[in-house]
Amino acid sequence: MSAPEPTHPLAACATPGRHGAPGDAPLRVTLPRRDMVQVMARRGREDALAEAARAAFGLALPPAGQAAAAPDATAVWIQPGHWLFAAPRGMEGALAARAAAAFAGLAAVADQSHGRTTIAVSGPAARRVLARGCRLDLHPRAFGPGRAAATQIAHVGCLIHQTDEAPVFELTVFATLAEPFFHWLMEAGAQDGVLIE
Amino acid sequence: MSQPHRLPTGGHIDRATRLAFTFDGRRYEGHPGDTLASALLANGVRLVGRSFKYHRPRGIFSAGVEEPNALVELREGARREPNTRATVIELFDGLVAQSQNRRGSLAFDWMAAAGLLAPWLGAGFYYKTFMWPAAWWERVYEPMIRRAAGLGRASGLPDPDRYEAAHAHCDVLVVGAGAAGLAAARAAGAAGARVILAEQDALPGGDLLNEPALEGWRRAALAALDAMPEVTVMPRTTVFGFYDHGVLGAVERVSDHLPEPPPHLPRQRAWTIRAREVVLATGAHERLIAFPGNDRPGVMLAGAARGYARRHGVRAGEAAVLFATHDGAYEAAHAMAEAGARIVAIVDPRQDSAAMQRAREAGFDVRAGSEVCGTVGHAALRGVSVRRVGAAGRGDAFAADLLMVSGGWNPAVHLASMSGAPLVWDEALLAFIPGAPVQRERSAGACRGVHGIAAAAADGAAAGRAAAEAAGFAASPSFALPEAPAADCRPFALWEVKGRGKAFVDLQDDVTAADMRLAHREGFSHIEHAKRYTTHAMGTDQGKSGGIVGAAVLAEARGEPVARVGLPRFRPYTAPIAWGAMAGEGVGRHFQPTRRTALHAVHDALGAVWLDAGIWKRPAYYPRKEDADAWASVLREARAVRERVGICDVSTLGKILVEGPDAATFLDRIYANTFSTLPVGRARYGLMLREDGIVFDDGTTSRIGPESWFVTTTTAQAGPVMQHLEFHLASAWPELDVSLASVTDQWAAIAIAGPRAREVVAGFVQGIDLSNEAFPFMAVADCTAAGVPARLFRISFSGELAYEIAMPAGYATHVWQAAMAAGAAHGIEPYGMEALGLLRIEKGHVAGPELNGQTTAQDLGLGRMLKKKGDFIGRVLAQRPGLTDPSRPRLVGLRSVDPSRQIRAGSHLLLPDGKGRSEGWITSATRSVVEPGWIGLGLLREGEARMGSEVIAANPLMGEEVRMRVVSPHMHDPENIRVRA
Amino acid sequence: MLRIPCPHCGARDEAEFSYRGDATVTRPGADGDIAAFHDYLYTRTNPRGWQVEWWQHAAGCRAFLKVLRHTVTHEIRAVVTATGTLEVPPA
Repeated sequence: MSAPEPTHPLAACATPGRHGAPGDAPLRVTLPRRDMVQVMARRGREDALAEAARAAFGLALPPAGQAAAAPDATAVWIQPGHWLFAAPRGMEGALAARAAAAFAGLAAVADQSHGRTTIAVSGPAARRVLARGCRLDLHPRAFGPGRAAATQIAHVGCLIHQTDEAPVFELTVFATLAEPFFHWLMEAGAQDGVLIE
Repeated sequence: MSQPHRLPTGGHIDRATRLAFTFDGRRYEGHPGDTLASALLANGVRLVGRSFKYHRPRGIFSAGVEEPNALVELREGARREPNTRATVIELFDGLVAQSQNRRGSLAFDWMAAAGLLAPWLGAGFYYKTFMWPAAWWERVYEPMIRRAAGLGRASGLPDPDRYEAAHAHCDVLVVGAGAAGLAAARAAGAAGARVILAEQDALPGGDLLNEPALEGWRRAALAALDAMPEVTVMPRTTVFGFYDHGVLGAVERVSDHLPEPPPHLPRQRAWTIRAREVVLATGAHERLIAFPGNDRPGVMLAGAARGYARRHGVRAGEAAVLFATHDGAYEAAHAMAEAGARIVAIVDPRQDSAAMQRAREAGFDVRAGSEVCGTVGHAALRGVSVRRVGAAGRGDAFAADLLMVSGGWNPAVHLASMSGAPLVWDEALLAFIPGAPVQRERSAGACRGVHGIAAAAADGAAAGRAAAEAAGFAASPSFALPEAPAADCRPFALWEVKGRGKAFVDLQDDVTAADMRLAHREGFSHIEHAKRYTTHAMGTDQGKSGGIVGAAVLAEARGEPVARVGLPRFRPYTAPIAWGAMAGEGVGRHFQPTRRTALHAVHDALGAVWLDAGIWKRPAYYPRKEDADAWASVLREARAVRERVGICDVSTLGKILVEGPDAATFLDRIYANTFSTLPVGRARYGLMLREDGIVFDDGTTSRIGPESWFVTTTTAQAGPVMQHLEFHLASAWPELDVSLASVTDQWAAIAIAGPRAREVVAGFVQGIDLSNEAFPFMAVADCTAAGVPARLFRISFSGELAYEIAMPAGYATHVWQAAMAAGAAHGIEPYGMEALGLLRIEKGHVAGPELNGQTTAQDLGLGRMLKKKGDFIGRVLAQRPGLTDPSRPRLVGLRSVDPSRQIRAGSHLLLPDGKGRSEGWITSATRSVVEPGWIGLGLLREGEARMGSEVIAANPLMGEEVRMRVVSPHMHDPENIRVRA
Repeated sequence: MLRIPCPHCGARDEAEFSYRGDATVTRPGADGDIAAFHDYLYTRTNPRGWQVEWWQHAAGCRAFLKVLRHTVTHEIRAVVTATGTLEVPPA
């Protein structure tokens, strides 16, 4: 028996197409497939870890509230000494194995590829829709590309990472709570219209 | 259908468009720009409601949120909304409204007889009157009072509309878009600040809407704000509360001005606004004067009459008297004269003033040194009695259908007061104004006693500029401010005109000046006590117009200045807010999130009956056609586990990766038993105590590497355990180098339990020698399951040979199906929470009902797990005498003597001769599959000594008493032969 | 609603935090007796004025923070991470 493609946590509810109000500037929603690992620095080894991250992933470990991107991976600061590394979906466990090898003795590594899922929202309506549940100030003066923040939206823990000016916001949530979060997003976006791609 | 009182021109009214509406079943017409109140006045409707207690006829008193009288039921069916103020309802085509608080017709209200009983209905009457006989309260008095009192009727149906929350952030929030607010927003916006300008009215402008000459400035201000990308003007938005740290609450009425919300739009939106600086430009509410008959329909605040004439193009009366105590009110007389009304007289207690002279020049009959001492008429005002100030008698009669009243202005200090600012007495204005700010707020314009449009605008511009600067923005360029005559609103101190008849200080609650004096006489002299005793200022208007008048009457009775009496504390909300808006989208499935395991669809396909476990959905059992009832399903599933093999989704257990050089030390301190001695590849049952010595949680924790541990928690305590670990790492042992990651969502988990579990597991798991020698009870190892990476645990909750297999959640369905295929030949059956509970009760495993926040390890028979050496959470306080007392209830097993007699959790355990004294209780109950009959776990005093004896399980609620035998809690395989097989 | 300036995340709504009480008490070591643990767990000064208290940024960075808050005005004057110290000003 060979490993199948894992079931996406939103497979049952994210139907591609237009939802909610018609209009030419809907909220665009995509579900990028990612592998994710939580990297937790050993005490006093943050500098060595940063060096290892640069060497293995080609990125500078970001400080609080920020994310760093390399061509094939991103790292988002999530809590003191913890980063969430993400990469496009690859072989099962490959990202975790790569991180564990690169950070041996410097950090603990927990595979979260199945424990978290990412919903990317973009378009002119994005900030307005998110403001219906997100308590954070996502105005360009307060937030921007490369910024990241953990918060709670509609009772669900959510990591927000703005990846460009468009704006695109990547929302990473717990897999077992992805459905209710998605239902909230659909309802919050209905008045602007939602396009699931 | 005509509008006899509509002026031919003027105001913010679109006369080209007609809007049809009905009030009490009669059809009328109005125009866009009307409120329900202005449209009713245009149609000559004067009587709009009945008062709360005395059922006195009432008319439209104000033109805004302070309206005490004109409360109506708006809309029909599920959207019917009671107690809606006609003065703030925007007219729409097809609007339906009804008057309320009447029996029979509005014109002839049977309950008006209450007015005849008035001498017995004073403040506090129900405390005194309905005391005896006591038995009458529930059956007679309360239903009677409920019928007689109260206002409108709720629809009683589910609200068909949706509401939503929204969050905003700004540098400067300006509350109120009158002259001061518009200028403040413009100044702050020009400085570059992010500005929100919130206005409760549909049209920004405030008093500017009553000044045609200043319409150009209003429009220019709005155009300027519109051109600033970082300024947001929010009309129809009521800021209802000022909370800590610059957080304010507001409700935006998105669709209330429409018959029903358009598709996808909410009815209302509740905003939480976080502002660095706040400018309060909330204006002022005009003050009534307490004189006999001051509630007659046709008595109206002077500014309201002016507003109806100037803004709405409606003449609120044909023959008008103005009763005013300050110059600022005289504009109402001029406005009514312009509107074509006859000014019968102006009554003013003062001897002379500039405005009085101008009024005389305009040809008005000014009665200086006079006061209104009564009104004539019933359902509509017909005349006014006027006398010299303080004179006795009824005075001179004037025929009039409109009496415009102004006792001064009450600055709208609500939000400033809520922000923490003290209120200070302004002796010139006879009003409370905001004192020194506590939070980062400032007031501007009439809400701090700066009256007149020009002065208010200048004050607002300065406040807006200062707010922007305080928020870190450079000074902004100046702009033209409106030019307008000054307004002198310093009133003569005339709060009450004493005479025969009811003089109301609170029209909505039917509180009179006499009631305030009564409150003082009866000892309720503090304003907060008097408020509650009389219900003064407790209506939907919260005393906006008359609150201070009641305080002044109380002050006189106390012989103290008004400033000493003060006002009751202002609290949210500044105006009535729909509960729907507070709930927002958090209703139905959005009330709280539903958490689903990766196997949810699998259970659904198997026809699972669902059980709520916290926010998780878990299968309770899987009914089959042949099952007679739910018990048949549960017993079938449990029997499969005992006799063959079962499969169960255990993904909801909390899972925490604990890793680091100090992880073993940390776990030794967290758990009451030792973990550091556990070899890699082994699991151990662990018990956590709270610091107070009570059991906190339990679970199986595995060592998956020298420094790496896989901790499991109960489903319910997954979050609290994580916080517990984080807290102690942060506070108690910051020197420990340990990392924690919640991996609950990463791993799905399946239990495979039963005598044939090994064969089933062998059928789809590779990479492990499953023999008892190589993989014994409590072994853990990585493996491959149906081709995907997985981790196998040999642990058991059921008392049978069992395995738990954890796999990345996305593969859970795949692995489940592989297990089902491998188990088909062995008769595998899925089992749900009910069977799981049955099995663990038979085995004597404790769970939530036993770990109830009151039990110690000893109570549960787990006392020997507590390690003797080394520190751990709860070690010391668990030794307190109260927790080690041998007479505490202990965990026992219970079996019904008559196997057919059902027992229930919660039943008390009595001794057969115990005279009804409770010796303990049943924590968990079920039916046994090992030995038919009802069994349970319970906590019983001297439980060990009573092993083998009989007790009575009493459930008085159900009228049941069942004889039980006390047995060991380990009712199935006490030697653990099966789990180790 | 309080706005609590998290040293890692900036000012956040109180709703993101969970309260954990007095942050001035220290857990007794392995040699602590019942009286010491009793004081640690139960004895509180309940000041009218400044108090150092634990708040966990539970919905954010998960950090346990020490917050200097005035129990009457709710003013928050300083926030530090768990190992930091805060001077308590006079009430």
